[in-house]
Amino acid sequence: MNASGIKTGLGAYTALFLVFLYGPLVVLAILSFQTGPEGGPQFPIIEWSTYWYKHLFGLTPPSRIAPLPIEQALVRSLGLAVMTMIVSTVLGVTAAQAFRRKFRGSGVVFYLIVLGMMVPGVLVGLGMALVANTLGIDRHWWSTAFVLHVVYTFPFAFLVMLAIFNRFDPSMEEASWSLGVTPARTFRKVTFPLIFPGVLSAMLFAFTLSYDEFSRTLFASGRDLTLPLAIYGTFSVEVHPNVFAFGVLTTLFSFALLGTYAALMMLSVRRAKRIAIQEEA
Amino acid sequence: MSMMAVAEQTETEPVVEKKSPGKALWLLAPGVIWMSLFLVLPMLMMVYVSFWTQTTFTIEPTLTLKSWVTFFTSDTYLGALWTTVRIWLIVLVATVLVGYPAALFVGLFVKNKALQTVLLVLCVIPFWTSFLIRVLAWRPMLGKEGAINMILMNFGITDAPIEVLLFSELSVIIGMTQIYCVFMVGPIAFMLGRIDTSIIEAAQDLGAGFWRIFRTIILPLSMPGVVVGAIFVSVMVLGEFATSAALSGRKVNLLGNIIVTQVGSLKWAFAAVAGVVLTILMGAVVAALLRVVDLRKEL
Repeated sequence: MNASGIKTGLGAYTALFLVFLYGPLVVLAILSFQTGPEGGPQFPIIEWSTYWYKHLFGLTPPSRIAPLPIEQALVRSLGLAVMTMIVSTVLGVTAAQAFRRKFRGSGVVFYLIVLGMMVPGVLVGLGMALVANTLGIDRHWWSTAFVLHVVYTFPFAFLVMLAIFNRFDPSMEEASWSLGVTPARTFRKVTFPLIFPGVLSAMLFAFTLSYDEFSRTLFASGRDLTLPLAIYGTFSVEVHPNVFAFGVLTTLFSFALLGTYAALMMLSVRRAKRIAIQEEA
Repeated sequence: MSMMAVAEQTETEPVVEKKSPGKALWLLAPGVIWMSLFLVLPMLMMVYVSFWTQTTFTIEPTLTLKSWVTFFTSDTYLGALWTTVRIWLIVLVATVLVGYPAALFVGLFVKNKALQTVLLVLCVIPFWTSFLIRVLAWRPMLGKEGAINMILMNFGITDAPIEVLLFSELSVIIGMTQIYCVFMVGPIAFMLGRIDTSIIEAAQDLGAGFWRIFRTIILPLSMPGVVVGAIFVSVMVLGEFATSAALSGRKVNLLGNIIVTQVGSLKWAFAAVAGVVLTILMGAVVAALLRVVDLRKEL
């Protein structure tokens, strides 16, 4: 087998593959520095400038290009993501905790939960809108859209916590119980610190998925836009580089979030190590 | 695939605890109730409403088959159904073709674990950008004055810009392939990474060439990964409407787009019919894929 030739070929292909994955984003980032307001969303770059970033924050003189309605939308999106994160993490931890025991119908319940991440947003969003219509409920981002966000993110939190509990040593809890500590206190003092890295991952999943979610929101939220809906609104009109600038900023925000997660994770691992050393000493 | 593995583990290796059986019920109840009320009920409602009577601006709970008849006698709706199936098949094949070689390299040829992780992380990083931004990013790439046309013309490969690149079915397929191919790379690389390399070495020692090894060992052993990837990609592509809305200039109408426009014009019953058709299509596709490979046996 001429393995080295094939390996080189596949390696070159993989490099091209990464260019395919990143190319559009790189082009988008470059074009976000196009001059404004006369510069369009295409090459060549007439002049490098941060005009569109200023435009995004309303720092430019008014022009024919309407600013993106991001201010209110950002607050809503963040609020929705935090609400979704809290509820789906709590649901995920409790459901996974229940799955530590074998019980009848566990298969059905498992698939019921996982269905939430498989069913496309357009379907469950439509269904929710129909339910709200029939019951005469107004649709809002904090009500109908929020419950759908949890339907979507709860399965992710649940699966993360299942994986964590699978590697969990129950003898720690048993020791605590046999010392007469109440189950609630045991959960707070023993179980929770041990599963904390998992909880953190579940929270990260829930937050980012909700922050980026839009097909469910499109049908289930009323007139008030969330950030993804604001971007979706630009699809039908001419695109200006302000959308690109916005894309760069949200990406940076996501990376900041990922960085925070990594930092918290490292802190918790280091703390666990320190405690382990103290116990040994 | 990991979720099925997890399901199996929880079913076969119960962690014994000294707790009352009623407790599990209380822990499960919130999640199960949430999913029943906000997932199962809306889906059932969709099926129910598809049989309601559609008037100009409202729907009435008088049962009728009219919306269904309209759907299956209208060229627009049947056309959308056919477009959905066609785009789904093309994108599915494209993601396998584009993703498989990359997965082969990452999963089988890269021996260094650190480099393997770096490559996989590189594949996942774009997911930290908003989905809609990633879709939109194709516009400055594919447009008439876009990056690709510019490069092609600068190198003298083409004289005039290729206009079919944007606002066509092709642009939708390119966009979807780029966005979803990672869901193919991940599962395939995972399965390839589990192949015992001594099997391949044995085949080499017996004089088998690369293609023979690929056909008889690598490809069959990676099939579960392809199927899992295909399930991910299928479910997501079939439920799509944003990519076609952004990149086709309204030339490509998927069932998802039909639902969005029908809801926009308050034709709830028609939207519900399209939704039920989409659900059935999706269920059939996933069931068929699961028949190709028995995942429970393979994983």
